[in-house]
Amino acid sequence: MKKYKSITILSILCTLIILGTVFAFVSLDNGELGLYNYNAFPKKISLGLDLSGGIYAVYDVDTTTEEYTSLSDDQKKAAIEGTQEAMSQLLFNKGYTEAQVTVSGTSIRVEIPDVDDPERIFELIGNPANLEFKEYVDGTNDLSLNDETGSVKLSRKLTGDDIVNAGVQYNSESGYYEVVLQFSTEGTKLFGDATTALVGKQLAIYINDQEIIHPTVNTAITTGTCSISGNYSYDDAYDLAVQITAGSFPLTLKMASCSTISATLGENAIKAGVIAGIVGVILIMLYLILLYRLMGVAASITLWWYSLTFLFFLAVFPWVQLTLSGIAGVLLAIGMAVDANVIIFERIKEEYASGKTIRTAVSTGFKRSMGAILDGNITTIIGAVVLIVAGTSTLKSFGITLLIGIIMSLISSLLVTRLVLACIMSFTREQDAAYYALFREEEAPVIEEPNKETEMVKEGE
Amino acid sequence: MINLEKHFNLPIAKNMKYWIILPLVIIVLAGIMFGVYCGVYKDVKKGMNIGIDFAGGSIMTVTLGTYLNDSNYDEYEELIRDAIEKESIGQEVLEYGVSDEYKERYNDNTIVLPNANAGKATITYSQSSGSDDEYAIVFKYDNVSTTYDADNTLSAKRNELIKESVVAALQEKLTDVQYDEIKDMITYENIGATASLDLIKTALMCLAISLAIILVYIIIRFEIWSGIAAVVALIHDVLILVSLTIVFHIQVNSSFVAAIITIVSYSINNTIVVFDRLRENVKNEKKLNAKYDISRLIDVSIKQTLQRSINATLTTMVTIVIFAIFGSSTVNEFALPVIFGLVAGFYSSMFIAPALYYILVTAHEKNKQKRKEKKLQEAAASKPKYVGAK
Repeated sequence: MKKYKSITILSILCTLIILGTVFAFVSLDNGELGLYNYNAFPKKISLGLDLSGGIYAVYDVDTTTEEYTSLSDDQKKAAIEGTQEAMSQLLFNKGYTEAQVTVSGTSIRVEIPDVDDPERIFELIGNPANLEFKEYVDGTNDLSLNDETGSVKLSRKLTGDDIVNAGVQYNSESGYYEVVLQFSTEGTKLFGDATTALVGKQLAIYINDQEIIHPTVNTAITTGTCSISGNYSYDDAYDLAVQITAGSFPLTLKMASCSTISATLGENAIKAGVIAGIVGVILIMLYLILLYRLMGVAASITLWWYSLTFLFFLAVFPWVQLTLSGIAGVLLAIGMAVDANVIIFERIKEEYASGKTIRTAVSTGFKRSMGAILDGNITTIIGAVVLIVAGTSTLKSFGITLLIGIIMSLISSLLVTRLVLACIMSFTREQDAAYYALFREEEAPVIEEPNKETEMVKEGE
Repeated sequence: MINLEKHFNLPIAKNMKYWIILPLVIIVLAGIMFGVYCGVYKDVKKGMNIGIDFAGGSIMTVTLGTYLNDSNYDEYEELIRDAIEKESIGQEVLEYGVSDEYKERYNDNTIVLPNANAGKATITYSQSSGSDDEYAIVFKYDNVSTTYDADNTLSAKRNELIKESVVAALQEKLTDVQYDEIKDMITYENIGATASLDLIKTALMCLAISLAIILVYIIIRFEIWSGIAAVVALIHDVLILVSLTIVFHIQVNSSFVAAIITIVSYSINNTIVVFDRLRENVKNEKKLNAKYDISRLIDVSIKQTLQRSINATLTTMVTIVIFAIFGSSTVNEFALPVIFGLVAGFYSSMFIAPALYYILVTAHEKNKQKRKEKKLQEAAASKPKYVGAK
């Protein structure tokens, strides 16, 4: 590499790193400069209940409803657990991977991290409602769709359980908003049967045993989607949609209390994490430079770059909510990130000792350690992917953090270190091997002397 | 820098009998300590220090409203904390448990009960909740084990006693406030485990699936024996991690599961680096002479990767050790198991995996040899027959 090119690359990289560092540590308050607010990006990393607190709500299962009292004890237990699971899933889908839903008797306690307004609970969980489709008679004696006396005789009631999604849609003809319902596969069939039998008649939609609307069925709907047009404003339609989504909980719930909660660990843990991160990175850098000199410098620059980008991705990626173990995971990842560099540098040392020039030693060193690095990291990636695919929400979140860490570390150790090292090398001469901590003995190593043939094979791979 | 390769001349491959001693001692020690803790706490479940995440407990909310502000928060927190953790409550719960009403029910457990965990409450953590009129301090603490208290009779009694104790403590402070008003400030509820057994089940399942896929991957990239050796080394790491956690009676919460997974996903690296080096050395050696000494190659490979293994372990350890030093006890619940795991991972990739690999490969070679000989013998045995028949 030519010197001027190296200088350009290094200065671009250094500028980026310095800018990144500034953005990572400095926050701007509105007013000071008359500009908009800027918060240091690591502060945007979503934190779990233990580190940031959030809101909680306690829901009591409505034990007076027939739907509940008709269940056997085991079924009651299963229904409560089902509700618990549905809530966890709902919160996970909204990115709150560290939310906790616990059950005690017939009450369900929900804790959602990183939210500071208790009102938001309605947005997140909704005001849980149970929904049922009925055949409209006169508004008071409406019949369930599996009622023997009605004109529809489904195998069971058609309820909120059969709806997978509810959304809002604008109807340009009426100028009002509509709620769009999407049924599950089974729900689609049941709803199709019901609307086939009810063409020309009215279908009532009940929420919490209150009739909301009873539109006339114009045609049989077998596509699995239907819209409820009730001349809604956007807010009304949105509220209804949220209510219906929440209505897919197996049980009727009543909110007993709702408020904010503070972090359980809070500042101490975060401070310890930040100190460990900064001190750790500096110690690792010193160690690397001591051990590998100029190669260590290259690795240190890369490590700093890695730490910044890793934090950045944690801040922008959804489904990342750092808890205490998440912080520890990030710290470990920083330590592990230099592992690949250590493998490469040890290899370069050996290659040089076996009689190669610095340049050849570096390039063969990178090439030959590739196998071990890829194998090691792919096995780690396997672990992370299994967690993401098969784990529960906490494990999923941990897996995502792990995966981001590994991929970033692969990129930095294989590409960035190599680039920085190449730049640095353009300033030194062949006899400067000691600057790279590269040494050669007179006698050739016993085992490590691959013959020409092996090298050709390796090269070809 | 000391040249480690020069000073390191340990025959590793052939000495599995020595390398297995230390892990076995740790595992046996863990077994003994498990028994000891069970005995001390007179509860099988207490062999391992299971935290509130898995065990559940009670939540007490003290809504002090405007009596509470940021400047006196710590004062009130401490006051209530002391009231909840009052020693004498445990004794009262015990007496209640063995009173005439419940005598029959708890008779068999009269001695077990107080020691188990009906005694003094232990606060897991406290946090603030709400603001202004709803400003409150929330305490989470352990509960009477459901083993003895399926319908929460004892835990309800204990919560009631704790409430009385808190009310009394607050009354001393808030002398102007009516007794009943203070009483109304306090509510409590039992909560289930936040990290249910499901979490452990899912985690174990994830672990098993990962191990299986990793095994297949290593078998494809390397060979079957290195795959088995690497996976056994991983299992070793987990066993040692769990054992040391038991020995030191470190509280196990959901972060423990994360610790195990972290170790499994990272510690495989060390082993793979050694095996990768071995694969390369074998390839080169085969070119030079067909008959090579695999045990020597294993030792050489370990030697060549030693510096890297030490560096990698040190750099990963440094951040987590600093974290543990600066962090609170909760931080250590996670950090210590991880440190155990890292050390175990270093040990297993240096000693257990290579030595096991050697055993497997030589056993396989011997088998092959035997089969060959058997075939030769069979051939030799059938030969005369053939001749005879002719």
